[in-house]
Amino acid sequence: MSQTSEPLATSRRPTSMARREAGTAILFLLPSLIGFLAFMLFPIVASLGLSFTNWSLLAPPSFVGLANFQRLFTTDPIFFTILGNTLFFTAEYLVLNIVISIGLAVWISSLKIGQRWFRVIFFMPTFTPTIAVSIVWLLIFTPGGLMDYVLDLLQVNFPNLLLDPNLAMQAVIVVTLWASVGYNMILFNAALDLVPQSYLEAAKIDGANAWQRFWYIRLPMISPTIFFGTVMTAITALQVFDQIFVLTSGGPGSSTATLGYAIYQNGFQNYQMGYASSMAWVMFVLIMMLTGFQFWLQRKWVHYDS
Amino acid sequence: MRTLTRLTAIALLGAALPLQAAIAQDEPVTLTWTMWSGSDAETAVWRHLADMVTEQHPDITIDLQTASWGDYWTRLPVQAASGQLGDIVAMQSLRAPNFYQILEPLNERIDGDGFDIDAFDSSIVGGLSVDDTVYALPYDVGPWMIFYNKDRFEEAGVELPEPGWTIEDFTEKAQALTSDGNYGFGFYPVDYAMFSSALGVDYLDEDGNLALNSPEAVGAAETLANLVTEQEVAPVVASGPDSGTITSGRFDSGNIAMYVDGPWVMVNKAQDVDFEIGLAPLPRGEGDLEAVTAGSGFGIAATSDNKDAAWRAIQVLTGPEALEYLGSEGRALPARTAQQASWFDVAAADVYGAREALEYSLEHSATYEITSNWNTVENLMNQYFPLALTGNQSPQQVMDTIQSLATQ
Repeated sequence: MSQTSEPLATSRRPTSMARREAGTAILFLLPSLIGFLAFMLFPIVASLGLSFTNWSLLAPPSFVGLANFQRLFTTDPIFFTILGNTLFFTAEYLVLNIVISIGLAVWISSLKIGQRWFRVIFFMPTFTPTIAVSIVWLLIFTPGGLMDYVLDLLQVNFPNLLLDPNLAMQAVIVVTLWASVGYNMILFNAALDLVPQSYLEAAKIDGANAWQRFWYIRLPMISPTIFFGTVMTAITALQVFDQIFVLTSGGPGSSTATLGYAIYQNGFQNYQMGYASSMAWVMFVLIMMLTGFQFWLQRKWVHYDS
Repeated sequence: MRTLTRLTAIALLGAALPLQAAIAQDEPVTLTWTMWSGSDAETAVWRHLADMVTEQHPDITIDLQTASWGDYWTRLPVQAASGQLGDIVAMQSLRAPNFYQILEPLNERIDGDGFDIDAFDSSIVGGLSVDDTVYALPYDVGPWMIFYNKDRFEEAGVELPEPGWTIEDFTEKAQALTSDGNYGFGFYPVDYAMFSSALGVDYLDEDGNLALNSPEAVGAAETLANLVTEQEVAPVVASGPDSGTITSGRFDSGNIAMYVDGPWVMVNKAQDVDFEIGLAPLPRGEGDLEAVTAGSGFGIAATSDNKDAAWRAIQVLTGPEALEYLGSEGRALPARTAQQASWFDVAAADVYGAREALEYSLEHSATYEITSNWNTVENLMNQYFPLALTGNQSPQQVMDTIQSLATQ
């Protein structure tokens, strides 16, 4: 840097160029930046404001201080059920999703032929709208529907998933898994293909069996991708709404009422926008906390050295 | 330089546009009409009505915007909050206590124009009024009744229901009609209010507050739940947004022999079923029948810029000619008493007992008792009542829960 005077002379040119480039960059970023400001930042800030008000949508909002949050945590008889349902759904769905998608990815990458076909087949449900997927599953699960009919034929006595408060959430999880396991599968499959063959061959020569090669080499090598998949899946799981809206409307009783559904119900069906906003903020904080926790946890199991 | 010219041109054009709009004020006006619709057949009926307006008032064009019944009530408050309300807003009597403030009071226009409001059924004018102020002109009125599959009754050798029948008669017939996976009755949770009223049971207290967990109200819930759990004459329904549609669909397919609906549904039923439909009033309890009615009408948005044109339009939409048409299409029992015959003489001409059932119900009509958050109560019914139908909870527990959630 200080060896010659040359850098001094050129050091001004990059600055003015950088400035010009920054201007261009902002210009290019503007479309998405405006979108972010108008459709993300503004609503987020507005909902924080609304969470301190009572707003029926028909009359202007009135300020009520912390009353909404007080009602959430002290008087609402089902808020903690809703919170519990949300966490239960997220935990079970997340574990099943990651395990199944890794399983599928490993299986597909081991195939000699037809890899592409299987990738497409399993990925297909993820670009089908969840509402459409859920309506088809509703026809399968509904009392007297396809599933009841098949179980009847097989003479299996099993309660209807949508009628049993203990099983309704399992129906929601099955539908969600079917609809979105393909996304992580594609991610993991791509990551597996990037693991250098030489590592696996070296391990093979050293006498590592298939399981050892998977557990000690491939899995650690794709752990950054698994981490990404886990974080993204957890966030969407905490926000689950479409499937519940179509399949159960939160019922029977409150057995499938999650935060996402309760926000819709309070805001758009009961016309209590302020209360719904306060729930949205609980959800926001919950997602932040759990994501933060996952980032903290990743130090223990994610390997970034390649 | 060229860009500058172009920019100036655009700016000038932009300035000219509002000017044109201002001139257009006295000339043709386009009114937005927000309406619910459950099928293409129904939308075609509403479009026909919109054309009637243009025919009578060539300066008015109607932009009809439809949404499904459920979505309509989700969109309406959002449109109100964002200033996007249509000029003409459809309103139902059960929702009027919740939404009346977004509508223009009509009393002055009614008095000023000497509009004959007495030509309408008075109960529905009352239903669309709040504190003696009329907020919408009604197009229909109707009691909930029992729709039945006459063919199934005859196959099973069951006597057809007569006006004045009791809940015991009803249960007996339902039992006789239940066999081989077919059911005598199809129940869905929102039926609770119509059934309780028919049986003479109050689910509100004297002050009009919700009292779903009073012994009387719970008793009615037990009677209904027993139809599913003990007598097994009606299938279980799951909680979900569409239990009403599913029940109606099962009736159409012949899977259930009786279900509850109103005269407005005839426009779809006539096309959907291939058996003969019969109509009976709701069954009564110990006392006289109390048949609740509801109806809908058209109001003018309080925020509309075209209130005068909208007033002219809703007079056509609820005029004798329009209601005659709605009645004969089976979309509505006309709110104008003089036009009501069009419904049972034309739309329900092939429906057995339609006239008797309707007249009996109207003679025994009662106000549909509701709270201002009735939307919430109905949603909670859909969500929680199935627990009592599967036996997971007692009707008492379910009604306690709904009461506590609806009044918090």
